[in-house]
Amino acid sequence: MSTAFSSTPHSFWRSLLPGPALGMSVAAVAIALLIGAILVALMGVPVGAAIAAFAEGAWGSPYALSASINRALVLMLVGLGFVLAERANLTNVGGEGQIAVGGIAATAFALWPPVAGLPLGMAFVFPMLGACLAGALWGGIAGVLKVKAGTNEVIATLLLSFIAVWMVYGSVQSEQLLRRPMTTSATLPESLEIPLATQLPLLFGDVSMPLHAGLPIGVVLALVVAVVLGFTVLGLRLRATGLNPRAARRAGMAVDRLTVGVLCAAGALGGLAGACMLQGEQYSLKAGFSSGYGFDGLVVGLLARGSVPGVVAGSLLFGFLRSGGINMEMVASVPTALVVVIQGLIIVILAGAALAIQRMETRR
Amino acid sequence: MRAGTDSTVHGGAAAAGGPAPLLRLEGLGKRFGALQALADVSLELHPGEIHCLLGENGAGKSTLCNLIFGVHSPDAGSMALNGAPYTPHSPSDALALGIAMVHQHFSLVPDMTVVDNMLLGQTRGVLDRRAWAAKLDAMRERFGLALDPHARIQDLSVGERQRVEIVKCLVREPKLLVLDEPTAVLLPEEIEALLAVCQRVAAQGCGVVLVTHKLAEIRLVARRATVLRGGRVVARSKAPAQEIDTLVRAMIQRDLQAPASAATLQRSAAPGPDALSAREMALQADGLTVRDADGVLRLDKFTLMVAPGEIVAVAGVEGNGQSELGAVLSGMLKPTEGRFHIFGEEMTGKSPRTMTAAGCGVVPEDRHALACVTGMNVAENMMLDRLGSFRRRGLLDRQALNRTVRELMQRFDVRAASPDAAFGGLSGGNQQKAVLARELSRDPLRFLLAAQPTRGLDVGAVEAIYGHIRAAAARGVGVLLISSELEELLAVADRIVVLYRGRLMGTCPADPAERARIGAWMAGHEAAAPQHQVTQ
Repeated sequence: MSTAFSSTPHSFWRSLLPGPALGMSVAAVAIALLIGAILVALMGVPVGAAIAAFAEGAWGSPYALSASINRALVLMLVGLGFVLAERANLTNVGGEGQIAVGGIAATAFALWPPVAGLPLGMAFVFPMLGACLAGALWGGIAGVLKVKAGTNEVIATLLLSFIAVWMVYGSVQSEQLLRRPMTTSATLPESLEIPLATQLPLLFGDVSMPLHAGLPIGVVLALVVAVVLGFTVLGLRLRATGLNPRAARRAGMAVDRLTVGVLCAAGALGGLAGACMLQGEQYSLKAGFSSGYGFDGLVVGLLARGSVPGVVAGSLLFGFLRSGGINMEMVASVPTALVVVIQGLIIVILAGAALAIQRMETRR
Repeated sequence: MRAGTDSTVHGGAAAAGGPAPLLRLEGLGKRFGALQALADVSLELHPGEIHCLLGENGAGKSTLCNLIFGVHSPDAGSMALNGAPYTPHSPSDALALGIAMVHQHFSLVPDMTVVDNMLLGQTRGVLDRRAWAAKLDAMRERFGLALDPHARIQDLSVGERQRVEIVKCLVREPKLLVLDEPTAVLLPEEIEALLAVCQRVAAQGCGVVLVTHKLAEIRLVARRATVLRGGRVVARSKAPAQEIDTLVRAMIQRDLQAPASAATLQRSAAPGPDALSAREMALQADGLTVRDADGVLRLDKFTLMVAPGEIVAVAGVEGNGQSELGAVLSGMLKPTEGRFHIFGEEMTGKSPRTMTAAGCGVVPEDRHALACVTGMNVAENMMLDRLGSFRRRGLLDRQALNRTVRELMQRFDVRAASPDAAFGGLSGGNQQKAVLARELSRDPLRFLLAAQPTRGLDVGAVEAIYGHIRAAAARGVGVLLISSELEELLAVADRIVVLYRGRLMGTCPADPAERARIGAWMAGHEAAAPQHQVTQ
């Protein structure tokens, strides 16, 4: 394997290293965090205490670290789906919906009695595959609409997200669907907890460090997406399709099939993210299950500018920010909205810097 | 104002103590990465003068224009406008100082009308379309450039779009007009009209920089000429009309074959179409008819056979159905009626994918829209249709890809720094050569459709490309050429057919003696053919 990579000027390993954009990203994050610290100080909270609370929540304990990484995993899967479709110049903003249908499918399969009895870990793999399939369907609908009717995929994926989010709400309202049997009038509208066998196994078998089996799967998928985009004919075809679909078609590429296919793949990644959330952390489906991860993942994908290492870095950053922010609110009573402010600042600074660089380049 | 005495240039352009030149370039240099695009280029342009820039594809002509227009900044040297230092930072600086440029590639919004495209960037506040439409009418009066102000750009032919670009510049009343290969896309009579426009513009005291490949144009209008090769000035002429041969030699560093190169090229001994059955026919088009969205007849019962090894040329004034014919035969447009077969296999309405697999090569008229992906590199573009054959263990084998492309680049003289160079950075002619190389090297290649294959190519490259097309025909490939360059068609084709308002006017051997008949057909005069009406 290594010879195939090292012999080419486009070395595989080098491509995984972050490029010069890294410096810009680090600077943007640093500036955003600095402004965040200033805001904390303006609120009258001791900055030191706030930072301590943030660190405690983000990586202060094995549990906190695991929670941050699990968050990052979900964001990464959605972000990977975004950059994959982006290569074909398709903007998949439907991560939220793909997570939702993935969650529904994973719940339905996990609660289907025969599944829990499957051997060899198939009990947890099967619902995951179901979630991928559901996500692929959700993405694929947008693809087919685009190819057959010319519907803009931004509109289609966004609106499909609203449908999916309300489908989660609907499916936990009725006992005929996924709602747990109502024993008292106080039974919450949510599904039963999925059986233990269908939950993602913990990597270290220890609830104080709840990293789950979704993590290695996600890492492998990140590598697969990086290889597909950078080192395969398919990656080039997606790029050609994205840059000039008519020329790609003229050159004999199956542009329609590529379009539907790549949106299916992006949807499948979103669906898998939903399965990871459900089978790895929440264990039961509730209304509001996806809680904005799809849109955060979209931002991660946007900031990555098409690079898989960028997605990984961005999702880790946002994962840690979220976890740290929650603890900061609980311990230092700094509103968690600050995290959203910092995220927004990072986006604005990066976009501004990108624009400035672009201007400089065209000037020359 | 500079004193006239110190404004001497090598070549002794303006030794007389006249006024400062309109534009003066001194020692300009520009480097793009590893490529020295321009080095030590100096020239002078006086008001009322047409200055022709000559050079092979990639010689640096476009780069020089872009420096003048402020698209790029020079790395070395200086520019002066009317004697004052001129350092544009962007095209808007150039425009503000009265310099306008018509680019090789169009910058029009296809969805908008002609007048709306004019308004872009030239007006503020309320859009006064009526006033601008009147301005367009004035342009027609003044320069003979006819345009329907309310036509949408996407409905215009390439030639008409070019006219919009030129008018867009002229409404600014420029002092210096830069035209980067404006005639490459125009028809013979349009070229004449454009050159007349240039002369009128110059006569009104404007300086004109004209980039061109066409020697006839230099002979007609050039007051001075500068020849670039490899980014350097290799020849200057104050009387280009008399020194064409010298200029051409300087440009390509060798003597050009006699223009009637047909004599030296041996014609293929292809059997005529009559001798073959339909199954053996490279192309059999049967009553192809195209009506556009408005129901206007664009192609009218086009019926034609091309035998293997035969080169058939479709001549005609642009906009008479050539684009539609090309689109149908390349699988991008389904004909309203009629069918066509390639070697007996029905291809009507088949996808480009099927046609590619069946061995149909296509050089489309609109290179940027259909033939290449400018955001990708040279190698990827040259193998765009066969990327799948460069796979090793499931991954893209870039080494093999680049090896194949390097060989192909050499064979077709595609000049790029390397196979990894950005395709968009290639000069227009080299892009065209790369596309031709791809389509001609298709395996198997059984039928080639080439629309305006030599557009934008310099004389040397035109010769080479037709050599390749001839060689393909000699291997048994059926070739259909669509071009507005009648002289080239006469030199290379076996048979010429003429399209007029979508209808085939007639067929004749590609013999210069037939020129009069072809010309009459192109103008729609044919006693035998009934007067044809476009349904509207």
